[in-house]
Amino acid sequence: MSDTPTAPAPGALPPSPFKGLSKGFDSALARGIGHVTRRTLGPHQTAIVRIGFAVTMLTFLLREWPHRGELYGPDSPWGFDLAARFTANNQAFSLLLWNDSHLWFELVYHLTILASVAMLVGWRTRLSSLLFMIGVLSLQNRSIFMGDGGDNVIHLMAMYLTLTRCARVWSLDARRAARTPRDATDPAGIALWALSGAALLAALLSGELDSPIWSMFFCGMWAAHAVWWLLRRHAPGEPRIVADMIANLVHNAALLVIMCEVCLIYATAGWYKIQGSRWQDGTAVYYPMNLDYFTPWPWLTDFLAANGYLVLAMSYGTVFVQVGFVFALLNRRAKNILLFVMVGEHLGIAVLMGLPFFSLAMIAMDAVFLPTAFLLWGGSRLRLGAERLLPASVRHRFAAPPPAPAAAASLPGQRATERETAAHR
Amino acid sequence: MLPSEPGPAESGTPGASGYEAAGEDGTARGRPEASDAALRDAATETVRLRTLSWPSRLVVALAIGGLAVYATVHLAMIFLYVAPSNTVREQAEGARDYVLPEFEQNWKLFAPNPLQRNVAVEVRVETSEPVGGVRVSDWISLTAMDIENIEGSLLPSHADQNILRRGWDFLTGAHTDEGEPIGLRGELSEAYLRRIALLRLSDTMDVTTVERVQFREARTRVPAPDWRSEDFDTSTTYLPMDWWTVEPEDLPADVRDDAAEDAS
Repeated sequence: MSDTPTAPAPGALPPSPFKGLSKGFDSALARGIGHVTRRTLGPHQTAIVRIGFAVTMLTFLLREWPHRGELYGPDSPWGFDLAARFTANNQAFSLLLWNDSHLWFELVYHLTILASVAMLVGWRTRLSSLLFMIGVLSLQNRSIFMGDGGDNVIHLMAMYLTLTRCARVWSLDARRAARTPRDATDPAGIALWALSGAALLAALLSGELDSPIWSMFFCGMWAAHAVWWLLRRHAPGEPRIVADMIANLVHNAALLVIMCEVCLIYATAGWYKIQGSRWQDGTAVYYPMNLDYFTPWPWLTDFLAANGYLVLAMSYGTVFVQVGFVFALLNRRAKNILLFVMVGEHLGIAVLMGLPFFSLAMIAMDAVFLPTAFLLWGGSRLRLGAERLLPASVRHRFAAPPPAPAAAASLPGQRATERETAAHR
Repeated sequence: MLPSEPGPAESGTPGASGYEAAGEDGTARGRPEASDAALRDAATETVRLRTLSWPSRLVVALAIGGLAVYATVHLAMIFLYVAPSNTVREQAEGARDYVLPEFEQNWKLFAPNPLQRNVAVEVRVETSEPVGGVRVSDWISLTAMDIENIEGSLLPSHADQNILRRGWDFLTGAHTDEGEPIGLRGELSEAYLRRIALLRLSDTMDVTTVERVQFREARTRVPAPDWRSEDFDTSTTYLPMDWWTVEPEDLPADVRDDAAEDAS
């Protein structure tokens, strides 16, 4: 601020702290509107969230491949008849409740694996994120008693990610966009659009897709892509820019919702803990370490749970971090420290409690708050490592992707400053 | 600031936003007519909002308003759903309907208190004997099978961690304290547990002879830590359910198929 306070002349009133407030508010609002309409905020953050959840789901599906029938198949103890009766009155969306044939189940399971791979590499992400969501919802809503907190997070984020432009960086889409002119015909895109339209029509005509909200959502997404293609080809001026702004707005709103969701998750987890007597007396962490279901390494957990001071520190630390996270967002440095602690805690939970996929989902979710400078640094290090490993003939195919189309923008409690970049060097 | 970020130098006006420029610079009120051709190749990020036509600005404004309202409503609903019972929540019955089933939130992780007892599900079966009459088996711990698979595993499966554990939670939640099933959930949860048990037992026995099954919950309290003065009773208590008759569809699919083949 330019108006550094100077000592007022004797007898004069100190200057009002509210001076210029409305003007400042107006210009901040205008600046904010300029940002949210014209920019895809947090392109690296949304990309890392996309990659994180794709990796989580992909590794989960591969790990459970031998158990897939028992978990989600027609022969699961949670049989098709039970699942169909249970979900009849709650409208949950699942392709697996349309048909109880084995072939259909295998198709949906393996297409979900493919959708996860497509999400991971950012191939046709607007379509693959929808397929990813359809796959996740189909499996989870088919067998709702198979999941834990991690599945719940994946379920929510799979839905939110369909509304984001999460492939602006670190994706095949970004590479293609940089290599082809904007008004290129894109026959592959048209073919995929027509194919998904045919699938949607078939789902509607068969009467299986009967939820009005889901029907509207899928039809709307499908129509939006036709409009976007037409505008880019035939109205590249103002109409294209307005459409692009609306896409930015939807992305930014979804990003905001994702961030608030993370805050709500930690706030709920933390604030309800405060009320618990075991969290108050500092023995809470000792108990899960003695539950058979959450101790894959009993000798290790027994060793840790034997130390009263360590258990107290972990119990209080957990509550402190979860409750404090929301407020730490107000300060970039505090946020980064808490983020670091949380990721560490989840890594510990992954091994000690045998919850690797839960932890991976939580870390993917936390990644939305990672600083841009850190992500850029990590991305460049990864690329450097990959280039050293790959033979020269392959290397040029994976040439450094273009810089982000939209600048890395500021998110709450976060700013990519030179100072931060320097600190990471 | 990153190289690709449009700075004030690029946009030509102080401040990145067109609105801001229009507000600060009185003479800019009559907007400079940007021809469509000029916007043709413009990146959205460099376009000043005031160069857009009125209908376009209206569309953008409506989008901002609509999204702001929807995002707020969405977050408010989720907040009300996770919040404790309160003045607003008691009146807003819509929150539950909005959140379930797709936006379900369940974040009371180990809260307010972590589970402080080990719960094991045990089952015994009544089989018909070839010579007539019935035989009742010993109690078999299904949970012990889960624990055996989880121990020493870096990537435990949901099949071991969640099916039986969460299935039993579902069952106890759908039954009264006296063990009576509540509505559809109670009925479905009993069928679910019978199927889980028969699927697991089918590895070691001929489950087609099973007439009835009985479950019981074995509760063992985790002892208080050494450094605490509390002294809990850590002996195991058993809570048996009623005997349930096995239905034909409770048999695992492959067993059912084999039985059908034998019959034909």
